[in-house]
Amino acid sequence: MTSHWIDMIHADVAMVMGSNVVENHPVAAKWLARAKERGSLILNVDPRYTRTSSFADHYCQFRSGTDVAFVNGMINYALEHDYIQREYVVNYTNASFIINPDIGFHDGLFSGYDEAKRKYDAATWQYEMGADGMPLRDLTLQHPRCVYQLMKRHFSRYDVDTVCSITGAPREDYLKICRNYTSTWAPDRVGTWLYAMGTTQHTNGTQNIRTYAILQLLLGNVGLAGGGVNALRGESNVQGSTDFGLLFHILPGYNPSPLAAEQGLAAYNAANTPTSKDPKSANWWGNRPKYVVSMLKAWYGDHATAANDFGYDFLPKRDGDYSHISLFEAMYEGRIQGLILLGQNPAVGGPNSLKERAALEKLEWMVAVDLWQTETSTFWRRPGTDPASVQTEVFLLPACSSVEKEGSVINSGRWAQWRYKALEPVGESASDLWILDSLFKKLRAEYAQGGALPEAITKLNWDYGTPEQPDRHQEPDVHRVAREINGYFTRDTTIDDKGTPKSFKKGDQVPGFPMLQADGSTASGNWLYCNSYTGPEPKDNKLARRDGKDAANEIGLYPNWAWSWPMNRRILYNRASVDPAGRPWNPKKWVIRWNETEKKWEGDVPDGPWPPGEKHPFIMRADGHAALWAATLKDGPLPEFYEPLESPQHNLMSSVQVNPAIKLWHKSNPELNPVGEEATYPIIGTTYRVSEHWQAGAMTRNLPWLAELVPDAFVEMSQALANQRGIVNGDRVQVVTARGAMDVYALVTNRFQPFRVDGRLVHEVGVVWHFGWEGIVKGDSANVLTSHVGDANTMIPEYKAFLCDVRKITGGVA
Amino acid sequence: MNAMLIDSTRCVGCRACQIACKSWNELPSEKTQFFAGKGYQNPKDLSATTWTLITYNETKRRGRFDWVFGKRQCMHCLLPACATACPVTALKKTPEGPVVYDSSICLGCRYCQLACPFDVPRFEWDKVFTKITKCTMCADRVAEGMEPACCKACPTDAIVFGERSKLLAEAHARIDANPLNYVHHVFGEKEMGGTCVLHLSDVPHQELGHAGGLSEEPASAYSRPAMASIPFVLTGLGIGLGAVSWVVNRRQQLAAQQKEIERLHEIAEQAEGKEPGGTNS
Ligand code: SF4
Ligand code: SF4
Repeated sequence: MTSHWIDMIHADVAMVMGSNVVENHPVAAKWLARAKERGSLILNVDPRYTRTSSFADHYCQFRSGTDVAFVNGMINYALEHDYIQREYVVNYTNASFIINPDIGFHDGLFSGYDEAKRKYDAATWQYEMGADGMPLRDLTLQHPRCVYQLMKRHFSRYDVDTVCSITGAPREDYLKICRNYTSTWAPDRVGTWLYAMGTTQHTNGTQNIRTYAILQLLLGNVGLAGGGVNALRGESNVQGSTDFGLLFHILPGYNPSPLAAEQGLAAYNAANTPTSKDPKSANWWGNRPKYVVSMLKAWYGDHATAANDFGYDFLPKRDGDYSHISLFEAMYEGRIQGLILLGQNPAVGGPNSLKERAALEKLEWMVAVDLWQTETSTFWRRPGTDPASVQTEVFLLPACSSVEKEGSVINSGRWAQWRYKALEPVGESASDLWILDSLFKKLRAEYAQGGALPEAITKLNWDYGTPEQPDRHQEPDVHRVAREINGYFTRDTTIDDKGTPKSFKKGDQVPGFPMLQADGSTASGNWLYCNSYTGPEPKDNKLARRDGKDAANEIGLYPNWAWSWPMNRRILYNRASVDPAGRPWNPKKWVIRWNETEKKWEGDVPDGPWPPGEKHPFIMRADGHAALWAATLKDGPLPEFYEPLESPQHNLMSSVQVNPAIKLWHKSNPELNPVGEEATYPIIGTTYRVSEHWQAGAMTRNLPWLAELVPDAFVEMSQALANQRGIVNGDRVQVVTARGAMDVYALVTNRFQPFRVDGRLVHEVGVVWHFGWEGIVKGDSANVLTSHVGDANTMIPEYKAFLCDVRKITGGVA
Repeated sequence: MNAMLIDSTRCVGCRACQIACKSWNELPSEKTQFFAGKGYQNPKDLSATTWTLITYNETKRRGRFDWVFGKRQCMHCLLPACATACPVTALKKTPEGPVVYDSSICLGCRYCQLACPFDVPRFEWDKVFTKITKCTMCADRVAEGMEPACCKACPTDAIVFGERSKLLAEAHARIDANPLNYVHHVFGEKEMGGTCVLHLSDVPHQELGHAGGLSEEPASAYSRPAMASIPFVLTGLGIGLGAVSWVVNRRQQLAAQQKEIERLHEIAEQAEGKEPGGTNS
């Protein structure tokens, strides 16, 4: 989230799209309820009427996978009616920037497309540069090639009728959403946008989010209290795992993982460190080398020296895509020998899970670290499989639960909160930290004998207070881990802090990331967390703070409750919450403001200390401006609508049916990757969760009380479809796609309604994906239906839209 | 006197309350299949092991489709029919608000069950000694200065706990502040002489599964005579009741006749057509 959970209460309008916040983040409903009490309007857009819809003031249905069309239409509505916060747009976004003369867009494709490679060359998407090396701008927004004019042309194609015809949204409901949401263009009216996996899990997932960001920027809603583009993360610590480099393409702190082409630290820095000629650009990523070297110092300690590029050569270099689908395709091809899973259950949660279960059989060994015996850990005895035919050696390491260990959890609002151990771990279970520490010790002993690049392991700086031989009763010191993440000085150092010299002793904790250095004098496991643990004692652990006093602006920042990255800033981009003179756009709910007498900012920790107007507010962008136009994406600088890979409808916007930059696995790896056609599979399918179960279900299908509430997998469908198929509520039915079939109960409901798309009726059904063959209550996962295809930029699988059919199982009983 | 105000316009149907109730009161799960009521409802009804239940109701609100959630539980009447009907005061209204139950003196006659206008008390049949079960308003927590478990768990403050007169005022204030958003009726303010559980809703209360057509008179005015005059003509029920009260008398006198008691229980169960309750665990 660019803001945080509590901040929702300040929204004049809250839009929930691509999220079922009330069901899947019920505690968030607390803040939405407070918002409602204060008179906020809650809008909800979803293919099906959910518990969130029932909570909302206005609901609009739309067909799964048509998000880009829906919001592009809202952007068009805002541009057409001039419902934009003009001063914000001109000063803080790249609306005024002029684009390369060769920029073009024709029939669904931007200039630079290579059809054979399914790839864009983004050269023509770049800014036109002046002689001074700065981008050319037209602050009147009149130049035909300025971003604003390009946007006006691009989005004008998304008129209300076209959008409603594509999405199936009823016209009146759609207009109500447009009118209400765009009302937040007024400087002192704010809208928040909440989204989750309903947005990301599409072949257009990144562009879905781009539509939200663009609209929020046009309306001037980013950086203000009650605003923002807010990803509601799907698990309690997903924010933390992303911050710490869980994904293959990033190192901790959002530094890119090195590519094979980036041999040597200098090459890496050159490729990944942006520059700017604009004196008003803070260009914060220009500091990247400091953060990467500090991380290497934390990892390799004294073995990281200037002479050896601080151990950069020890890091693995990647030569492509190691995302989930790619890994499982490689596994299926027999190119992966072993797999370690920590709290992951791809046999239920992975897309095209029949293929992924088959891929697991190709492994020589697998280690599952989990609280429960998950379906993945017993894939070898799944229904229909003879265990004797599976050669994989499987180990299950019992992990303890979060209440049985001490440590931190980082919530969607970037608050890092410390938790304490309440109970001893049950049985032989152990903390993840203990398991990893012990595994590391054993691996280091092995690599001491030799192996491929043993230094990557043997030279690691690893001391968390445990003996060489793992001892079940000696837990690694989690505070040492937290202190290393914050970072420390590796030698006595004096730093020039804006003219004032500041001296630090070797071993002192680094007070904040502005002090991190690229010369090896500082170590920090994750620069974003530098400032979180600023002394040697547990009392210096800011994550453990529990002071309920609010900041001067009284907007619920609670700055001394836990700690938030970066530098305890609670609302990101908060320099955009004030006008260029430093006056809050919304004085009633100000986030920061400039105190002219004391020459300093008040309120939240500002995005940098500079006085108003001295720096552009979007400090993480090299040009300092928020990107309405994004030349860095793989599938276009502006969002364009394409249909999901499987869809019953041809694209009404252009002749390009699906996202032109996605990888087509059914073409490159056809085995077990079939794609269905409308003739056989005429119904749109989608997948989702319910309040009562959690993800792949291990933590909830093993709990009798939750099992009682939702004991079986089910498919939700409209009365109209049920009538057509002779199905009544409670019937056993089969949902089938080109990839697999599952037997489930039919829940017939008015909460699903068919869509009128391009003049004809289209049906959609939704299936929960929580179930598998383990646990107290069993069933199958909706992921036997989903496919191996992902977003063009993130490779997140398209779980949310596919083609299926629903058939009544004759003789079935409720 | 303590009370609970349950505002269905704030309820999101998450069922944290239903689980918190089972958790605090250590009630086992029930064996369920698919869904037993409308929408996601499970189990089918209040029972010996389910003291509160969220109902899912597809309806219309101001002309538009809506999905609304109700919460069923004991209403903790000001003048409870159950207590009035009880021949041995096993059920008692406490000055703090909860209507509590003392199993040690209960005869097992089930008069309370028949008397309750809200269809709340349930019998536990799978125990040697029958006893009635229902929501206690977490009297044990309340005695320690805590709010009831369901209230504590509710993420949206759809359930609030406090002094009845204050909650009643709060309920009316909410209606007055948002007259379009509520039906102008606090369910429980006057029903059966008033209750300690008050409901607010934006659809008619009966659509959430609450009893309709109730008198404003407390049941005490007529429940005992009414009970006395119930002819046990419904055979199944008659056998059940007869058997049980007979059993309880025996229990108090002759614990040795255990076998006979069990036999009579079986008869009672068969007569009720009840299945022994299984669990999902
Ligand atoms: S609702 Fe029924 S059981 Fe509860 S106090 Fe009233 S009469 Fe007694
Ligand atoms: S916990 Fe609250 S919001 Fe959830 S179902 Fe119960 S009353 Fe409704």
